[in-house]
Amino acid sequence: MRILLVALLLLAGCSGSNNQAVSYFHIETPRPFGYVIGDEIPQRIIIETRPDVTLQTASLPAKGPINRWLNLNRISVINTGQHYQIDLLYQVFYAPLEVKMLTLPGFKVLLKQGEQTDSQIIPDWSFNLSPLRELAVRKSDDGEYMRPDAAPSLLPNTLNVYGLVVSLCLAFLIAAYLCFLYGYFPKLLRRTLFKQALRKIEALSKSDMDQALTTVHQALNSLYRQPLFHNQLSHFFQLNPQYQQMSSELDWFFTYSNRYFFTSGMVVVQLDLEKLKELCKQCRKIERGSQ
Amino acid sequence: MIRTLRHNMIWGALAFSIIAVIFHACSLYSVYRENQLIVQLIAGRDVDVNNVVSGPPELRLARALYFKQKHRYDDALSTLSLILDKGDRHFQAQARYNLGNLYLEQAVEKVEAMHMNEALPLAGLAKQTYRQALALDSQNWDAKYNLEVAMRLLPEMDRVNSSDDNQNSQKAQFWTTVPGFPRGLP
Repeated sequence: MRILLVALLLLAGCSGSNNQAVSYFHIETPRPFGYVIGDEIPQRIIIETRPDVTLQTASLPAKGPINRWLNLNRISVINTGQHYQIDLLYQVFYAPLEVKMLTLPGFKVLLKQGEQTDSQIIPDWSFNLSPLRELAVRKSDDGEYMRPDAAPSLLPNTLNVYGLVVSLCLAFLIAAYLCFLYGYFPKLLRRTLFKQALRKIEALSKSDMDQALTTVHQALNSLYRQPLFHNQLSHFFQLNPQYQQMSSELDWFFTYSNRYFFTSGMVVVQLDLEKLKELCKQCRKIERGSQ
Repeated sequence: MIRTLRHNMIWGALAFSIIAVIFHACSLYSVYRENQLIVQLIAGRDVDVNNVVSGPPELRLARALYFKQKHRYDDALSTLSLILDKGDRHFQAQARYNLGNLYLEQAVEKVEAMHMNEALPLAGLAKQTYRQALALDSQNWDAKYNLEVAMRLLPEMDRVNSSDDNQNSQKAQFWTTVPGFPRGLP
C-alpha cells in the first residue's frame, strides 16, 4: 500500500510539467500620461509559443475604428519561428474637459495546437489624456477662436536650380573644350607648342634628325603664325622678345638645318641631337614663363 | 573613324546639355510663376481660372483659401474636394484640415445664429475631416486643436469607462447632442 502511494505521488510529480501554449509573454507600452487628442499610441506584444503552437492572426483586432474615440491605424505581425511580435498603433480621438483616464481595450489572442485551442489574454492598458483647450470659451475678434487655415507652401525649386547649374556648367565646359579643339584659344595653344615638340623629340634618335628638325620648325612656325626663315629672326624677336635670349641657339638651329637639308654628305652626331633637345627645353621654359 | 565618332559625341553632349539648360530654365520660370500666383491668392487677389486648372494642387489649395476669405464657401468646398487625394500625405492632411476648417467655421456661424439643425451636420463633417487629417499626419497640432473645438461644439454621445456615465447614459446622450460651447466654469 505504501509502495503504491509513493508510485502515485511520483506519477503526479512527473505529470505536473508545464504544458501551457505560451512560453513567454510581454507587452511593451509607452508612458501612460501626457497624451492629447489625435495622438498615436504604439503597443508591442511579444509572444513566444511552445513548439507546434501557432498564433491565429484572425483573432487579432482588425484595422479601423475600435470604438467611437479609438482607431487602430496599423497592425503588423512579425513571425520568426515560435516568436511573434505584434505591433499595434492606436490613435485616440477623445476630447476631455479635464485630464481623464482612458483605457485601450484588451483582447484575446487565440493559439492553436493541432485540434486544441488555447488563448492568451492581452490586458487593458490605461493612460491619461489631457485637453488642449481651456474649459472657458476663448473668443477672438472673429468669434469662436480656432486655429487658422494652413496656407499652401510655395513650390520647391531646389531641384530645378541644381539641374540648371549642373547643366550650365556642363554646357560651358563642353563648349570650351570644343573651342579649344577648333583653335579659338590661340594663346592657350601657343603655350604648349614647345611642350609638344619636346615630347616628340625625346622619342627620336639621331637617325631621325630630319623629323626632329621638322618638329622644331613647325613649333617656331606656329608661334610666328607663318613659316619662319633665318633672315626673319629679327622680326620674330620683335614679336616675341622673350625669345631674344635664345638668339644664338636659334641662329645655330637655322644654320644647322640649312646645312642638313641642303648640303650632301653631312654626318649627324649624337651631340647635335642633344643640342637640339636642349634648345627645345629652353624654349619650353620661356613658353611657360619659368625663364 | 574613332576620332570622328568621338568628335560627334562631344557635339551630342553639348546639344544634350543645352537642351537640359533650356528645360530647367523653363521649369524654374514655371515654378516662379506658380509661386507668384499662390502669393497673389493668399494676398486676397483672384487669378485666372485657367492658370489654376493647369497648375499644381498647391494652387487650388490657395484658391480655396481665397474663396473662404471671401465667404464663398461652396466654391471653396468644390475646389478643395478636387485635391483631397492629390500630393503626398502631408499635403492631403493639409487639404483635409482646411476642409475641416471650412465646415467648422460654417457650423460656428450657424450656432451663433441659433440654427442648430444646420449646425449639426456641419460640425459632424468637420470632425470627420479633422480625424482624416490626423490619421494622415498625427503631428498636425492645429488639426488637433480644431478637432477639440468641434468636439466641444458637438460632443460625442459615447462616454467611456466610467460607471457614472453608464448609469446616466440616456441623459448624457440627450444633452451631448445639443451643439454649443460651454460658457465658462460654474
